[in-house]
Amino acid sequence: MTDRQVIIGVAKSDAHAVANHLIAMRLRLDGYTVINLGVCTPLEEFAEALAQYPDAEAIVIGSLNGHAYEDLSELPQLRASGRIHCPVILGGNLSVGSHKEADERTRLLALGVDHILDDADQIPLLLDLLQASRTGTTTTAA
Amino acid sequence: MFAELGMQLQPRVAATLPSWPEVLGYYRSSTKPTVPDVLRDADRSGRPAVQPRCGVGAHDAMMALLRSLEKHGEPDILTLTIDSYTRLKRFSTAASTLRRAPRELNGYPLVAHGWRRGRELNNAVRAPLEVRHGSPDGRELFAVTVASGITSYEGGGITYNIPYCKDVPLDVSLEAWRQIDAACGVLASAGVVVDREVFGTLTAVLMPPSICLAVCLLEAYAAAVEGVRCVSIAYPQGGEIHQDVAALRLIRELAERYLPPGVEVYPVLHQFMGVFPRVAEVADALILFGGLTARLGGATKIINKTNQEAFGIPDPMANAQGIRTTVLACTEFLDFVALDEERVAEETYWLRREVVELIEPVLDGGYLLKEIADAFRSGRLDVPFSASVHARSEVIPRRDEHGAIRFLHAGNLPFSRATLRRNEQRLRARREPRNRLIESITRDIDYFKAYDARRRVPLFARR
Repeated sequence: MTDRQVIIGVAKSDAHAVANHLIAMRLRLDGYTVINLGVCTPLEEFAEALAQYPDAEAIVIGSLNGHAYEDLSELPQLRASGRIHCPVILGGNLSVGSHKEADERTRLLALGVDHILDDADQIPLLLDLLQASRTGTTTTAA
Repeated sequence: MFAELGMQLQPRVAATLPSWPEVLGYYRSSTKPTVPDVLRDADRSGRPAVQPRCGVGAHDAMMALLRSLEKHGEPDILTLTIDSYTRLKRFSTAASTLRRAPRELNGYPLVAHGWRRGRELNNAVRAPLEVRHGSPDGRELFAVTVASGITSYEGGGITYNIPYCKDVPLDVSLEAWRQIDAACGVLASAGVVVDREVFGTLTAVLMPPSICLAVCLLEAYAAAVEGVRCVSIAYPQGGEIHQDVAALRLIRELAERYLPPGVEVYPVLHQFMGVFPRVAEVADALILFGGLTARLGGATKIINKTNQEAFGIPDPMANAQGIRTTVLACTEFLDFVALDEERVAEETYWLRREVVELIEPVLDGGYLLKEIADAFRSGRLDVPFSASVHARSEVIPRRDEHGAIRFLHAGNLPFSRATLRRNEQRLRARREPRNRLIESITRDIDYFKAYDARRRVPLFARR
């Protein structure tokens, strides 16, 4: 079986490390090669990592401080230039502050986020579904 | 004075420092006990010294805080907790924030205030002071600490890097702290012993005890070879008392085995550093439990928590109460408590083995600081939940059914088959479906958080 890779990290203005590491632990135990960019990672660095690991199945970004929209504001440009060409999955606390959660999700999806997850334990399932939809087959990481 | 100490300092900070004879003169004329004096006394008496954390931005407020804690809590040692700007050497940002809005600082900006004010604080209280911070490069702060006549300084090239910043290479932080330790050696030759505490708590999240001890012993060894004469090795309460007592007792044994002779070593317990209970009486009980753990483990010092921990920085009265509750746990009040020593012995055997397997390959290599950095790069040393990208964080810790912290996955740590098998056996009873791994580890992290005595919610409540 080919190596399954995924890029993960925490949004630019956010220094919460624990959930990020929990996701890395889960994905590694599920057999993934995890490229973990860690806390306070600008979107530009996710694009650079994708250039280095072009086969990565997805970029998984955590945001717990309510600034997801601001931190991901460059996503449309990076999509348009083709530098981010894989699914972007976002999770965490997205509705901190004045925006209502449903509005915030709509805004983030409009920005170009592909999937928003509330439960980090669902990430491997989502990655399997995404892979199946790409290849027409289902593979489970070792 | 920086020339005599041999440290490379920012010229702007160096220019503010007093002369070397002046600094030595202040230390020698001080009538206060030093931190090493207090530690020696505590060690002889068998009753641990108790020390709070405390730090606010403004000088007057800091002075008032120290006096209030001294009056209401009677701690054996007091603390200057330093703000985040100063920790990251952003001294001018610390100074401008101090002028504009001192309440926005999350600690006392000692470099911005300067050594004269440091001495004012030192002179204002009976208890000796320690500077606690989180600087990957604490050289300037150390120089101002020494100029202030303070006799204890926390940190180290690993323990103040990995948990505190994202991208400072270990070679850089280890070299900065090597210079600090060498400066302690210069001071020691002049008759001034400064205690150097290493921060074994690391990221404070489910920290496997062998990782804490291994990292601390390597830092303590590096400090001792540079001339440090007094080392405090801090270990974070994990919450399973047999494991915690084994770890505290092993600090003395392993320091004697690995450190050069002539170094005083004191074990320190940090009361539970993870997610704290919100309910005040549960928090108080956990604080009492921490004090008891420290005494049974033979700790020389305890850093106390407060029953406001879950809500942020405590007010002075809550902090004083935390000190007093901790002192209570170390009096004859709980002297009847004894542990199952066979269980402690079993924990000790396996923990000793893990620590030896981690540190011997590093100590047996070439230049120690390079070996440490290489070991982190290759994952032969590792810290879970690292803020720094310079630790791999491939280790996966879990609690066993009694709450002790074990390795579910040891990453690239060079453990023997026997060590790996023992960890696997201890976790067998807690085998849970892998598709809920994040939820399971989160429960381990929140172990004490949701405890409710009335409803008798056990520490591992089934959902």
